[in-house]
Amino acid sequence: MKFGKRLKQQIQDSLPEWRDKFLSYKELKKLVKLISAAPTRRNESWRGRNESLEYGKAESDFVYLLDIEIDKFNGFFMEQEEEFVIRHENLKQKIKRVVDLWGPNGIHPSEENYKEEMEKIRKAIVDFHGEMVLLVNYSNINYTGLAKILKKYDKRTGGLLRLPFIQKVLVQPFFTTDIISNLVKECESIIDTVFPAEEAADRAKEAIVVAGEGIFRNTVKALLTMQEIRKGSSTQSPFSLPPLNLPDSDLIQSIQLNAAVPIV
Amino acid sequence: MTSLHQASIAESNLQIMEARPSISIERSSAEKHNVMGMSGALSSSLAVLPTPLEETYNKLPDSPLAFVEEGLMSGPLTHSGHLNNNGAVGHIFSSSPGYSTALHHSSLSPHEKHSRNAHIISHSSTNMATLPPFSSNSGPLPSKPSRHFPNENSASWHTDSVPSFLDFPANTSIDSGRVESGACTIMASEEYCKQNDWQEWADQLISDDDTLTSNLNDLLADNVPDPEPKVSKPSLQLPGHPSEGHQQLPASSEENCAGAAPSSSAKSAPSKPRMRWTPELHEAFVDAVNQLGGSERATPKGVLKLMKVEGLTIYHVKSHLQKYRTARYRPDSSEGVSEKKTSSIEEMASLDLRTGIDITEALRLQMVVQKQLHEQLEIQRNLQLRIEEQGRYLQMMFEKQCKPETEMFKASLSTAENPSGSSLDAMQDVPAKSASMVDNYKPGPDQAIGSTKVVEGSVEIGGKHDSPKTQLSENPKQHANANDDAAQASKRQRKDE
Repeated sequence: MKFGKRLKQQIQDSLPEWRDKFLSYKELKKLVKLISAAPTRRNESWRGRNESLEYGKAESDFVYLLDIEIDKFNGFFMEQEEEFVIRHENLKQKIKRVVDLWGPNGIHPSEENYKEEMEKIRKAIVDFHGEMVLLVNYSNINYTGLAKILKKYDKRTGGLLRLPFIQKVLVQPFFTTDIISNLVKECESIIDTVFPAEEAADRAKEAIVVAGEGIFRNTVKALLTMQEIRKGSSTQSPFSLPPLNLPDSDLIQSIQLNAAVPIV
Repeated sequence: MTSLHQASIAESNLQIMEARPSISIERSSAEKHNVMGMSGALSSSLAVLPTPLEETYNKLPDSPLAFVEEGLMSGPLTHSGHLNNNGAVGHIFSSSPGYSTALHHSSLSPHEKHSRNAHIISHSSTNMATLPPFSSNSGPLPSKPSRHFPNENSASWHTDSVPSFLDFPANTSIDSGRVESGACTIMASEEYCKQNDWQEWADQLISDDDTLTSNLNDLLADNVPDPEPKVSKPSLQLPGHPSEGHQQLPASSEENCAGAAPSSSAKSAPSKPRMRWTPELHEAFVDAVNQLGGSERATPKGVLKLMKVEGLTIYHVKSHLQKYRTARYRPDSSEGVSEKKTSSIEEMASLDLRTGIDITEALRLQMVVQKQLHEQLEIQRNLQLRIEEQGRYLQMMFEKQCKPETEMFKASLSTAENPSGSSLDAMQDVPAKSASMVDNYKPGPDQAIGSTKVVEGSVEIGGKHDSPKTQLSENPKQHANANDDAAQASKRQRKDE
């Protein structure tokens, strides 16, 4: 139930329009329980044809539901991806326009306007970066959930669904996050150009920052959640991920989160 | 015609709704209740869909619809009679095309037959072709359903994948329903399907009728005979599509439509191909739009023609153009970030006032966190990929252990292409033995952490091709012989590409 709880938390912490796009982990778990109450395939040879048919049907129903989930992920993911591609391009163009118009070498140099616009752009681009990372996080968390459900299924029903099914999942659009990752990296380099050179080496490490609502809060929470999920598997196996080792974990911890305010 | 349409759609909707709960496992009624919850949730989300469909049919002017239906009815396709159902069914099942795979694998109980029939119809004629063999196999199939996954599912995944959007070209459709449902989906899920959009689409349909007939012929030629999913790379190269997975996805059905090279997913032809908009594709789009005088002036048709991307349909362009326009028209929030996400100013203020930190510094901090999250996500993803590769490799190993003949060795090399298929057989045949193999492999927590940590370490270093080999050498139990390594490494390299 640990993952389930974390997932729920994650969902709560996401942007509102994302909330129903996550894996229905709890329901699928219930389903697995139901199926496992049914005859397993282990003693197949003893079973009549009817029962093994029933089992087969249960499995295909389960697969059917998983497929629905995957379609959901794919649809949402690709839609967001498309939007991000568009926004990325728009941002680049906007920056260019601002620089060309109001920049020092521009048509109509205006320091005030330039500064103002750049500030807005910086904010927007950092948030944009955050959103994209959240999408990657979305992809990952759903994958993790799927892997867990499949593992449960196999465990409970003695089935062998996990391995082949997960192979399929690996090539799904929602899991092939290369495009978004590239956008993120491009974004990072754009940000470097848009931000003034760093003065203080230690940045704001000591300061306690209150992350308000919005993207920043989400990304912080996502990172923390990830850390928690990865704390260590209760069923350690070759298929388990090792615990997360964040370099700046104290930094993350020091970021207090505004708990009370819900994201509307 | 329209009212008949509506009636039959409503009816088929109802039946589908009823059919849906039956998917739940039929155990005790108490248990059923739980599962009903989920399938209830599913059906309730699906319940949203039929209504817009009906509305659409209300709004729809008769002539284009009639044209479409006539054109198709008179076609050589035999299941034209089922067209009425397609609108609803195609649409509903659009969100669960994976069902086709479920259908293929289960023995269908009689009461599911209706939805199954409807579903068959809603997919292409190739689905029709594929179904009969499965129904005759309903005996042995259910006991080994997973065997078929690698073959069938891989293909149907790709095209069957996502639903809602815009699918298909005005110029091909076996079923008008699909086209309509495409537009309907716009309504349901996008909330900006206006009447004039529909009209425009309808106009397109009418005006493009020469392409319609030629593509219809292509469609027939390509779709009908080919139920076999090939995992071949489609010839369609949407610009900048590196990975195999989604390359097949948008490519496949468009290929069908455009009548291009044989596609691996011919069997569920123009279901709901979702275009994956890569930056390169988008760039081409923007160029075309600019050539046509900007986002307001450019028309989908014009852009489509200028872009000259094979397989791109006007629907794709249309939806993309709409998104593009919306994004452009919110330049004040600097890039279309909506107010829902909390105005940026407020956030800046909250960061600012409470801490006295310069906004820029706060943003930098935000970047630190975000960068880290991204990095960790990438690492995690790579790990997950490696883990699954390892799993596949293990299966191969088990199989070889179970069948030590040299021929089996060769077989396992070729099974490297398709490990899940036959290795599953091995697993099933000798379950006890493989269980003990698992125990042997499962070296205990320490070693497991050790091996995965090695992976993590090497991933962090960044070597993609190196890490699998390191992994192998670290864990002696996995280490078979050189040939296996080579096979595995080459497999991994393929996978990595």
